[in-house]
Amino acid sequence: MTNDANDDTQPVDIAKWSETAPRYSEIKRMISVFVGRPLPVIGLVIIVLLILVAIFAPLLAPDPPNQMEIINKLQQPSSEHWLGTDSLGRDTLSRIIFGSRTSLIIGISVTAISSIIGIVLGLLAAYFGGAIYHIIMRFMDALMAFPMLLLALLVASLLGAGMLNIIIALGIGMIAAPCRLMCGVVMSVKQNDYVLSARAMGMSNLRIMFQEILPNAFPPLLVLMTIGIGAVILAEAGLSFLGIGITPPTATWGGMVNDGYKFIMTNPVLAISPGVAIMLVVFGFNMLGDGLRDALDPKLRGVI
Amino acid sequence: MTPLLSVENLKTYFRTYRGLVKAVDGVSFDINEKEIIGLVGESGCGKSVSMLSILQLISNPPGEIVSGRVMFDGQDLLQYKSKSDAMSAIRGAKIAMIFQEPMTSLNPVLTIGRQLTESLEIHLNMTPQTAQERAIELLRMIGIPDAHNRLDAYPHQFSGGMRQRVMIAIAISCNPKILIADEPTTAVDVTTQAQLLELMQDMVNRFDTSLVIVTHNLGVVARYAERIYVMYSGRIVESGLADDIFLNPRHPYTIGLLKCVPQLGETRQERKLVPIKGLPPNLINMPTNCAFLPRCDRARDICRQQLWPPLELVGGQHYVACFREIMEKP
Amino acid sequence: MTQENSTNVVELLNLKMYFPITHGLLRRRVGEIKAVDDVSFSIKKNETLGLVGESGCGKTTTGRCILRLYKPTAGKIMFNSTDISGMNENQLRSVRSSMGAIFQDPYGSLNPRQTARTIIGMPLIIHGMKTKGYDNRVEELFKLVGLDPSMMTRVPHEFSGGQRQRLGIARALACQPELIICDEPVSALDVSIQAQIINLLEELQEKLGLTYLFIAHDLSVVQHISNRVAVMYLGRIIEIANSKELYQNPLHPYTKALLSAIPVPNPVIERKRTRTVLKGEVPSPADPPTGCHFNPRCNIATGDCKTERPQLKDVGNGHMAACFRV
Repeated sequence: MTNDANDDTQPVDIAKWSETAPRYSEIKRMISVFVGRPLPVIGLVIIVLLILVAIFAPLLAPDPPNQMEIINKLQQPSSEHWLGTDSLGRDTLSRIIFGSRTSLIIGISVTAISSIIGIVLGLLAAYFGGAIYHIIMRFMDALMAFPMLLLALLVASLLGAGMLNIIIALGIGMIAAPCRLMCGVVMSVKQNDYVLSARAMGMSNLRIMFQEILPNAFPPLLVLMTIGIGAVILAEAGLSFLGIGITPPTATWGGMVNDGYKFIMTNPVLAISPGVAIMLVVFGFNMLGDGLRDALDPKLRGVI
Repeated sequence: MTPLLSVENLKTYFRTYRGLVKAVDGVSFDINEKEIIGLVGESGCGKSVSMLSILQLISNPPGEIVSGRVMFDGQDLLQYKSKSDAMSAIRGAKIAMIFQEPMTSLNPVLTIGRQLTESLEIHLNMTPQTAQERAIELLRMIGIPDAHNRLDAYPHQFSGGMRQRVMIAIAISCNPKILIADEPTTAVDVTTQAQLLELMQDMVNRFDTSLVIVTHNLGVVARYAERIYVMYSGRIVESGLADDIFLNPRHPYTIGLLKCVPQLGETRQERKLVPIKGLPPNLINMPTNCAFLPRCDRARDICRQQLWPPLELVGGQHYVACFREIMEKP
Repeated sequence: MTQENSTNVVELLNLKMYFPITHGLLRRRVGEIKAVDDVSFSIKKNETLGLVGESGCGKTTTGRCILRLYKPTAGKIMFNSTDISGMNENQLRSVRSSMGAIFQDPYGSLNPRQTARTIIGMPLIIHGMKTKGYDNRVEELFKLVGLDPSMMTRVPHEFSGGQRQRLGIARALACQPELIICDEPVSALDVSIQAQIINLLEELQEKLGLTYLFIAHDLSVVQHISNRVAVMYLGRIIEIANSKELYQNPLHPYTKALLSAIPVPNPVIERKRTRTVLKGEVPSPADPPTGCHFNPRCNIATGDCKTERPQLKDVGNGHMAACFRV
């Protein structure tokens, strides 16, 4: 770079010199911002590994996740069972590998449900304002004040435990954050003259909302969703740890911590290894979200 | 007479993703005592950046003052570190600045009185008592009625024009040697603009301060400025007394600027506007020829062959950076 | 309907636009901002009417009322002799295709995530004109405003300010409108680019027979492009006259002050000019002065100015001023 600074003597060919700024790809800029920082890249690597592990779980796991060898229960790590076995003699490593599927499915589906509902509600509230805004926002306030645990218990007692019901409970509980963020972003995006111009052309409200506003309001949502997946995985682990989450014997990291913590003194690997898995994945999603935020930040356009 | 402040070959570059931006590329100018100077140019020509560079208010990264000297009181200001005490003692106290946006230049959570007295207490070591009296006096000077009670008001209780007046009061409060006004009237209406310009002229006369008006509007400086610098793409292309610049412009850019604005009272039937063709330069990958060359309608071969033309004296205090003018000098 | 009226593209009759000020949880109405307060004027076919005034005077609101982005509180908006002030969105559809709008901010008025081709073609798509000739029409529009059609696939941030404003003009022209509302179309542009855009607007008007409402705060620009100029102050029109007449013979004290406040880029003339620096500031439109809105700042105001509202009166040649002292 310092070479450029003093590079005064090289004449630029005036015929080739264009008056407009040289074209550059926005995508390329985003990628270069993203890969220019180490932590987002580490986050991305963790997430990609997680996805690969979840997809190829049957190939990677040494044993089926629910295969019990009661004789070999509570074994310390060995060459046969890298992370030992649990109280029912199941291979811990295999259960962690299969547990990644549960975490990923719940993380993605809950985030998808809550984001879609939240985005639509936030868009409606901010675009129409007035009574619609107040009704939706007061509903969100109520939702935020309602403890997630209580909601999960309520859903579990009404519908029973299980993967689908956990998704419903968490999905409802997580609507408020994307809704409020969306509402705020749309409030500012709709001030732009291109929205006014679309109205002056006679564009329908629906089209203005989804064609003019939503694409411009989306970047911060993407960041929230990425970090949200991590939060959902953490919440699911919490619920499973408390026993109101996924029903056994399905392998989940939260449930494994619960199973293992009784043996924390004698066999710490049982509780710590799924705990580390949770930590790594949540960390990965958070770092990925941070990286996306910087990459999508239009204020950094041209600066970096 | 040695000038009060003299900038020599200042270069401020910004490193961006898209390339190196030479925002200020070898600018030299003088500010004399009790003088009103106009610095005129379009957005992105480096006029604000050169002023911010004097006070070392360029954020690094992405910006960097690459070279140059800013001589003030026998000292080179660029030798000081940006965050040093020596530099802070100059900013506000010796060289003050007013910015374009009256909405964001004042701190919204502090009263007007607090913001006025703060710099008085810091720079002039006044007691809170005397600072307060001085603040009331300043508010009266800038024409704010009921000054005593208005000290406790918050910025949002003032209109845009009033806030800009308060900014002028704060800037002038420590009796600086130089007041730099960066587009002080761009965000306000014409009638307010007239009020503010009169006020500024009045204040600098009263305090024997030099004033630099940075603006894109040639009309704004015509009435007040004694000397004018015209900037284009990071360089000064013409400088001289106001009468030289307005009545006898020599650089094709200055000539074009004066021709492309509609005169007051002139209708389209009387004169079609003569625009400057093309686009303002993008500062990335600038040609090292004359930057105005792609838009110039009187370019010569030498303009294409040579590097950027130097500023040359063409008479009196009138300097022009144009080969055509330099070659045809008698 | 008389012959005179039928040539009016737009005619405003006592237009009022009041915005409510609400307070508290129950959104109690505590007052109103009279943004446009009883405004009447007309624009003839192929004419440019300039609307000048300082920020907050209601000039933009007037333009948006005509575009029916707002529903006026009272009064009529006659567009080609039809009152559009009370129409609903369905009835407005055909009206919208014969009006275009150009906005001030060339950065904010174009959707940053659409390509130039989509932006310009959008009015055609909305009004169901995405038919066989669509691609040709978009290319034609590009050339009409002086842009290179090879830049069609670029997004707004890849254009300069002046080019973006050209895109905005092309979009406004897409449906071949009769009337274009230009809301401060050049004030955000560099000085050297303003003239290009003004010239373009003037050429397009001659070529396509357009009618303009040109809203701006810069009186010299407005006078240059307009046939007639209306001056607004706090929601009311206080003077309306031919461009040249308004400059040579301003009648209202506010118009005089406005003219004298505009700096002229010539130091010799400037030093000789007497400048009427107005005292005080524009009062809040939520609490305007009684009588003539200008009376607290006026140097020739007398008793009746404080109590009664002066009406626009014709002093000949279509020159009208709302001042008792004229």
